[in-house]
Amino acid sequence: MTAQLADALADIVGARHVRTTPAERRTYARDGLPTHQRVPGVVALPGSRDELVAVVRLLAAHGVPFVPRGAGTGLSGGALADGSAVLVVLTRLNRILRIDPTNRVAVVEPGVVNARLSAAAAPLGLHYAPDPSSQTACTIGGNVAENAGGPHCLKYGVTANHVLALEVVLADGRLVELGSPGGEPWGPDLVGLFVGSEGNFGIATRIAVRLHPLPRAVRTLLADFASLRSAGEGVSAVIASGIVPAALEMMDQSCINAVEDSVYAAGYPRDAAAVLLVELDGGAEAAVAAEATTVAELLLTHGARSIRTASDAAERERLWQGRKKAFGAMGRLSRDLVVQDAVVPRSALPDVLETIGRIAATYQLTVSNVFHAGDGNLHPNISFDGAVPGLKARVDAASTEIMEACIAVGGTITGEHGVGLDKLRYMPLIFDGDSLAAMRAVRRVWDPDERVNPGKVVPVHACREWAGWGPRATGPGSAGQTRPGTADPGAMPRGSGDRMAV
Amino acid sequence: MADRGGFEALDACVHCGFCLQACPTFLATGDEADGPRGRIELMRALEAGELAVDDPAVRIHLDRCLGCRGCEPVCPSGVGYGRGIEAARALLATRRDPAPLARAALWALTTAGASGIVYALARLLRATGIPARLAGWGRFRFAMGMLAASAAKGGGGRGRSVKVGGGAPRSNLHHPPPSSTTSPVLLFRGCVMDGLFAHVHDATVRTLEVNGYAVREVPGQVCCGALHAHAGLREAARQLARVNVAAFAAGDEPIVVNSAGCGAMLKEYAHLVDAGPFAARVRDVTELLAARGPRPGAPVDLQVAYDPPCHLLHAQRIADEPHRMLAAIPVLRVASLPDAAQCCGSAGLFTLLEPAMSRAVLAPKIESLRAASPHVVATGNPGCIMQLGAGLAAAGLPTRARHPVELLDESYRAAGYYA
Repeated sequence: MTAQLADALADIVGARHVRTTPAERRTYARDGLPTHQRVPGVVALPGSRDELVAVVRLLAAHGVPFVPRGAGTGLSGGALADGSAVLVVLTRLNRILRIDPTNRVAVVEPGVVNARLSAAAAPLGLHYAPDPSSQTACTIGGNVAENAGGPHCLKYGVTANHVLALEVVLADGRLVELGSPGGEPWGPDLVGLFVGSEGNFGIATRIAVRLHPLPRAVRTLLADFASLRSAGEGVSAVIASGIVPAALEMMDQSCINAVEDSVYAAGYPRDAAAVLLVELDGGAEAAVAAEATTVAELLLTHGARSIRTASDAAERERLWQGRKKAFGAMGRLSRDLVVQDAVVPRSALPDVLETIGRIAATYQLTVSNVFHAGDGNLHPNISFDGAVPGLKARVDAASTEIMEACIAVGGTITGEHGVGLDKLRYMPLIFDGDSLAAMRAVRRVWDPDERVNPGKVVPVHACREWAGWGPRATGPGSAGQTRPGTADPGAMPRGSGDRMAV
Repeated sequence: MADRGGFEALDACVHCGFCLQACPTFLATGDEADGPRGRIELMRALEAGELAVDDPAVRIHLDRCLGCRGCEPVCPSGVGYGRGIEAARALLATRRDPAPLARAALWALTTAGASGIVYALARLLRATGIPARLAGWGRFRFAMGMLAASAAKGGGGRGRSVKVGGGAPRSNLHHPPPSSTTSPVLLFRGCVMDGLFAHVHDATVRTLEVNGYAVREVPGQVCCGALHAHAGLREAARQLARVNVAAFAAGDEPIVVNSAGCGAMLKEYAHLVDAGPFAARVRDVTELLAARGPRPGAPVDLQVAYDPPCHLLHAQRIADEPHRMLAAIPVLRVASLPDAAQCCGSAGLFTLLEPAMSRAVLAPKIESLRAASPHVVATGNPGCIMQLGAGLAAAGLPTRARHPVELLDESYRAAGYYA
C-alpha cells in the first residue's frame, strides 16, 4: 500500500481518520470471530457520504481493492481486509437522517447502531424489529450486508424483510438507488439482492428501513428442561401448534452457566440441561395471555420441569439480556472461542443436538449451544485455548463434522452470520460448480473487477472452470463497457430526484 | 505461570465488541484503536512483545483511554480492563518518563507539604472570583473554570475544613442522631478533596453524624495514589498505598470516602500491595448514608441531574445508593440524563493531558445538560465536579456542579439539624 494512496485518502477524510501504522492497523485485524486475522493495508474512516463516495472513487481510479466494515461484530471473518486492500470503516457515518412515524420509515446512514435506532424510535411507539444479539454494538449497514437475523426474526422476519430502499455506492464510485421507501418498487427485487451480499456488491450509503409498532402485549416465558432432546421436542410442539411466537430461543447448560457467572445473570436455572426462552406478543392483552397459557401447557406436557413468566418489563429485559450477551459470556469458559452457524429443519433439532454432543465428546471439546430454536438456526460455540498445540486443528475438524451433520439432515451452512472467510470451505458442500458460477456472475454485475471485499463468500480458487466465464473487465475505465449479465447497475431505475433525501 | 502484572485480566476477551458503545473515546472517534477491544489488542501485543513499548501509535491510543472503565460492566466475559490498562501503562512508563505536565501536576496536587502551599494559593485565587470570570474553552480558561467549579456553592464555603478531633467523636449537634447506635467511621481525606473540597468533607461529616455515625480523623494518611497508578507510576502508587494501609491499620471501622476515584483505588489496593482487610473496610459516603435510610431532611426545591462518576458506577458498581441518599430530600426532583453512565472526560489528569479528547467526550454531556437545564448536576467525584463545572461555565449555562452530599447537607441545615 503506497504512502501516496494514504495521503490521497487523508486529503479526503482528514489525516486523523486514516490509519497506517502497524499498531493501528492491527486493531482492525479481526472481527467477532477472532480465529481469523488479516491486517489491512490502510484503514480509512470517512465522516460523511460525500467523503465515502470520494474514497470509493479514489480507490476505483487506482484499482485498489477495499472492504467495508461497520462495528466489526460479524461472525464469519467478513469484515477483514488483507495488506493489499483498504478497510473502509463506516462507524462515523452514524446519523439517523429521518424518522417518519406516520409512514413508519427511518432513513439511516450505515454506521447507525441497531439498538440506537430502536431507542430513537421508541418515544414514537415504534421499533426496528430485527434484533441480532449484538444489537447494542452492530450497525445497520453491517446488518444489511449480512442480512442479519435475531431472536425476534422468527415472527418479524430478517433484515431483508425490513429494508425498503438503499442508496449504494458501487465499486466504480457510481451512486445508485435501489427500491422505494414509499411503496413496492417495479421489477426485480434489487434491494433483496443487495441485502445479504456481504459487502460484495458495494457499500450502502443510506438505508431506508421499516419500523414496527411496539407490541402492546408481551409475555416472556422461561421453560426449563432436563434434557436437550425434550427441549427440542418442546420447540417442535410449539411450532406445530400454529402459534407463531415472537421469539423461541434455546440455551444449553454450559451456556446457562456462562451467563449466570456474568453481569448479565438472569436467574436461569443452572441445573437445567436446557432452557427455552419463548416470547409471545401482539396487539391484544387477552389473546397474548391465552397464547402464553397454551404454550406453557404444551411445554409442560413435553417435559418442561417448570415455566417462569417475566412479571414485568425489567425481568423481561434481564431474561433477554442474558440470552443476547451469551456469546460474549463464553469468554469465561476459555481464552478462545469459535461459533458456528447452521440451519437445520426444526424437526431434526433433537437428533442434531445429540449428534453435536457426540462430536464434542469425540473431540474432547466444550461445545455450548445458544440458538434460535424456532428457526432451526443453530449456534454451537466451541471454547478452547489456542495456545495448546494441536487444539485448533481439532476444533476445525469438529466444526467441519458439525457442519456436515447439519447438511446431512437437509440443513445449510449459515443462518445469519454469512459466509465471509470462515465458511468458504463449506460452500462446495452445498452448491455445485454451476450454482457457484452463477453467484459469481451476479457479483460481477455489481463489481466487475471483484474489488469490493475480495475473496469472500464465493470460493474462487476451487473451481477453475469459472475463470473463463465472460470477459473480465479491467481497471477503472471499464465502467461503461458491456458486461456479462443483463442487470447493468448503470441502467437501474433511479426514479425522480433523491427519494431518500432527508 | 509467571506473574503477568495485570495483563492476565485481559485473557477473557473474545472480541465480541459489546463494549464499543460504552466507550466514550470510541464514540468520539469511531476508531477501533480508540475502543476497548482495539486497546486490548494493543495491550496483548505489548505483553507478547509483538509491538514495541516505545511505539508512538501504541502510546497515543493507550494514552487516550480515559480509564473510565465503562467497558467493564457491559462485558459479558468479565474482562478486567482497568487492571489491564494499568499494567500496560506501567509497562509504558518503564520506557519513558511521564509527560512533564503530568509530573508537575502530580507534584503540585499530591506531594505532602508542597501541595499544601499550592492548594492554599489556589484557594486564594479562587476567592478573588477571577477564575470564575476567566472560565472558557481554551486550555488555561478551562483550568480556571475547573478551579472556580471547586468552590462551595450557596455561600456556605469556608476556606479550610475544620478537622474533627483525632480519635474523639465530634458531636456539636443540637439534635442528636435518630439512630440508637453510634458507629465510628474513619474519614479518608485525600489530596484534591482536602485541598479544594473541604466543604464536601464538612458536609460528609455533618450528614454522617445526623445518621448515627461518629466520624474520626486518622493522622498520617496520604493521597490514595490513583493519579499515579493511572499515569503508570506504579511504584509511587504502591508507596502511597503502603502508607495509607499502615495509617488505617488500627481498628476495623469503615473507612469513608467521598471521592469516587479515591474509593475505587482504595478498594483495589490489593492489586498493588498486601492490603489485608483494608479494602473491605472502604465505603463510599453514599453507601453509609443509604444504609441508614438516610434520615429525611427539609425540602430543597431544586431540579437535579444525577451524573454517576465512572469510578463509582463502573469501578465500584454503586448505582442505587446515591439515588437513595438524594431521595431523603423532600421536593428535590432528581432525573438521570440520557447516557448519564458515560464519562464526562475528566478522568483525573486526563483533562489536563489530553484536552482535545477530554472536551470531545465532555461535549455530548454538556449538550444533554443544556437540553435538560437542571439547577444542579450532582456527581460524587472532585474531577467530575470540576470538569462538568468548567464545561457548564464555558458553555454559559447556569447549571452548577455539586457533590450529592452537599445537597443532603443543605437539606439537613434547613431542617435545623445543625442549629
